[in-house]
Amino acid sequence: MDFYYGLAQTVGIHTLLGLSAYIVLLTGQVTLAQAAFFAIGAYAAGMLTVLAGWHIVPALGASAMFGAATACAVGFPALRVKGLMLVVATLAFGEGVRLFFFNFDYQVAKGEIKVGPLGGEGFRQIRYFQEHGWSTGEVMLFVWVFVVLAMAALWWLDRSRYGAVLRAVGEDELAAQSVGVNLTAVKVSAMTVGGAVAGIGGGLYAHYTTHIEHANFNVLLATFAIAYPIVGGLKNVFGTLAAVIFVQAFLIEGLRFLGDWRNLLFGALIVAAMNLRPQGFLGGRRA
Amino acid sequence: MKTLAIAVALALSTSAFAQEKSIRIAGFGAKSGVVRSFGINSEAAMLAAADVINKQGGVKLADGSKAKLVIDYLDDRCTAEEGISVLRRIYGTDAIVAVGPTCSNVAEPLFGILQKKVDDKGDSGLQMPVFTDVAIKIGLAKISEWAFRNVPNESIMYSSLFYWLKTKYPNAKTVFGGVEEDFAHSRASWYAIMKDRAEANGYQVLGNSKWLLNDTNFATQVREMKNANPDIVAISAHPFTTCGVLKEMQRQGVKPKVLVGLTSSSSLETLQGCAKQAEGMIIPTSFAPVTKEGKTAAETTAKFKGAADLHSMAAWENMFILKQVIESEKISGDKSQLQADRRKIRDGLAKLRETKGLMGVTKRTDDREADKPYLFVHANKGEWKVLHNPL
Amino acid sequence: MLDFLQAVSDGLLFGATYALIGIGFTLVFGVMHKLNLAYAAASVGAAYAGLLILQVAAGAPPWVVFLCAFLGGGVIGWLVYVTCFHFIPLSNPLAPLMATVGMLLLIDEIIVHLTAGMPQNYPAMFDDVMLRAGEFTLRGDLLLVAGVSVVCMIALLALLYRTRLGLATRAVSQQAVAAQLCGIRVGQVNAMTFVVTGLLGGIAGALIGASVGALSPLLTAPLTVKGLIVTVIGGLGSIPGAIVAGLLVGALENVFQQFRGVTERDLYVMLLLFAFLIFRPSGLFKQ
Repeated sequence: MDFYYGLAQTVGIHTLLGLSAYIVLLTGQVTLAQAAFFAIGAYAAGMLTVLAGWHIVPALGASAMFGAATACAVGFPALRVKGLMLVVATLAFGEGVRLFFFNFDYQVAKGEIKVGPLGGEGFRQIRYFQEHGWSTGEVMLFVWVFVVLAMAALWWLDRSRYGAVLRAVGEDELAAQSVGVNLTAVKVSAMTVGGAVAGIGGGLYAHYTTHIEHANFNVLLATFAIAYPIVGGLKNVFGTLAAVIFVQAFLIEGLRFLGDWRNLLFGALIVAAMNLRPQGFLGGRRA
Repeated sequence: MKTLAIAVALALSTSAFAQEKSIRIAGFGAKSGVVRSFGINSEAAMLAAADVINKQGGVKLADGSKAKLVIDYLDDRCTAEEGISVLRRIYGTDAIVAVGPTCSNVAEPLFGILQKKVDDKGDSGLQMPVFTDVAIKIGLAKISEWAFRNVPNESIMYSSLFYWLKTKYPNAKTVFGGVEEDFAHSRASWYAIMKDRAEANGYQVLGNSKWLLNDTNFATQVREMKNANPDIVAISAHPFTTCGVLKEMQRQGVKPKVLVGLTSSSSLETLQGCAKQAEGMIIPTSFAPVTKEGKTAAETTAKFKGAADLHSMAAWENMFILKQVIESEKISGDKSQLQADRRKIRDGLAKLRETKGLMGVTKRTDDREADKPYLFVHANKGEWKVLHNPL
Repeated sequence: MLDFLQAVSDGLLFGATYALIGIGFTLVFGVMHKLNLAYAAASVGAAYAGLLILQVAAGAPPWVVFLCAFLGGGVIGWLVYVTCFHFIPLSNPLAPLMATVGMLLLIDEIIVHLTAGMPQNYPAMFDDVMLRAGEFTLRGDLLLVAGVSVVCMIALLALLYRTRLGLATRAVSQQAVAAQLCGIRVGQVNAMTFVVTGLLGGIAGALIGASVGALSPLLTAPLTVKGLIVTVIGGLGSIPGAIVAGLLVGALENVFQQFRGVTERDLYVMLLLFAFLIFRPSGLFKQ
């Protein structure tokens, strides 16, 4: 049973990552920066629970804030860069954040050992869940509380006027602008919300793996972040969830019985999915 | 009447087959990416060892019956998330112990999710014994009392190597290092081990150059090396960048008296990438096919399409150590006693003070690590040949 | 001072490899307005394909291997076009991007499976030639790479501006519908362009393998990132821009490494990219 709870945790955390990209993709901005906000959330939550002894919930709140703040700061210069150039810019930003953590040392002595991030060696022993006796099932429920909250919030946003405005900007910026939509406010706010969701996801990730290092937050993770909403379709949040389940539960875990073929099929099935359903599993147009 | 007798005999024999007991041991490691060969070799070694054990009758259980060993091998792709997921999956099967992982960056988070101290009711960490064959970064087993490793102690090996080099090359006084900065193992192995042990043996460490795991241009670093003009160059990096650096050294005409490499680079990979430039490189290792048992193990593993090196042979040794523990701790093999059996394996591994290795007796330390016998190999005409055997 | 100039010249020369991979990227990105994230992987894959000839004719000279890589690149380029761009309708701009990600993963996995992930020795030409200019040493093989880049540039410019295919390519990139109305077969033109960039990628992969001395799947990710950065700094679609940007990035990389060490080096390369995006978004050479 533990395995399924663990898998559900992975699906949940990756869904948060995917949702953070989903909301930004709605506005037509292709962002490879979500892994960076994820990383910031991870290190922040880890440092707060391990070095400062905080409870996990306020630590995650802080992750959300740090993620949101960074995303907001990135959102403004991102306005100046259009289309596929934004992909490169956000990729570079993501790499920049990863390299920052590669060089980041902050160790505090606890008893006879030193704890905290140590540059290339990473940040070990983030054992809040284990030290407080949380079972795998309890951690899974905890993660999913946040996933459900995020999905509900984004679903509600989508159904509101704000959602219509987001999608309008995504479809045709010029038309949206001509009916009085404030492009800056829309794009930056979407980026900020995405940053907050990614921050929470990252905070949970740090506690789930107990050891984080810069290499975890690389270009591949950033690509997975946008892969989920693209493969799942931008129709609604369930598309992203479906894509995460497809990738994590089916492609990675479910195909294990195929042995070596699993890895080959991974890339091949993504190519096939994009050719067969280019608008994503659930489609792109909101019903 | 005869048909009835034959039918009864067949029925009895098939029911005997049906009652054949099995003990499952799960291996896991990297079968993807640049470290794929490690997973392939470890799996082959485990299958080969299990085959030998099963042909000799299998393992003896608590009730005196014999059981065959069944091996699973799972791919964790050298990522922390998948390693954790794989271990949880193994926990959900009837495997009594897990052998792995390959990558140090998987071992650290993985040991972190295990219960830190046994019998700590407040710690909800996983209670599954893990017996590592490959992940070699220093000091990992002390993260959890359920983690055990059968990997060489690099600190002791390099200390011995530098000591021996002093006698063999008395004119060599200075050392210059090359470090792969962004990989946990290679980084720790330079700063905490090679540099430290060289200085402890009286060498003057002139400095070190740094590069990253997938760098391709080493001109600046080798120039630094050239300017320092060291007698010994020690490279703490994996085969790809080691080969890149060696080729650049050849280009710039840097020829130190002695070339020292990283433990895990004493494999086929380095020779495949740059046999010519690696000629003469000395590496301490915990396996070479010089003993009778070692040669047999290598040959049997080759039958299962794996190469024998210090990593895969540790997996082979692990299987025989586990056989010994299964029998001495009286494992029941009963699925309803699974968790009790796992605890017995853990306790059994913790009790061991020494184990039989392919190179001789391996001592086990208090923090669940191994003190393995070692020797020095050097690259000679496209092969790793034994240079000096301190045993 | 001498060290600094030597570092600059070392970097400048190695930048020739970035220039070579950048030319192909900028052609696809800038002329066709499509982001092919699988380009570097395809180039490395073509280099591996070049090694296949050594299985058949063990003592073949290096240029035969390079020729095989060249041809292999064309084939792989065509395959990437068919699997990622041909069948996906233009109304879904993100699907081809994701499909190329799938191809990148697939090509990497195929390489890993065939070689068990181990580095493969690559034949080189002039790799033992070190030219001396006073106190300086210059790598002969990298001068060859620089020379080949210039030849490729001339050949490509001739192709684009002096042939019918080039005319058709430029027409399709500017106004696909109008081009179709003029009788240009868009699908065929796109396929040919991918074949041409694939051929170029094959040469790039082979020469990069020769400069590094060994091929490994580790080459793919950094080349993809560098290629994208060089494309943006050089100016989208500008082939001379890609060359100049490649040399510039190579030189500056080494300078950053000299002053701030290898762990911070890439951080400064990212900052360089941001500087260009903010102050000169059209790159060095406008197109």
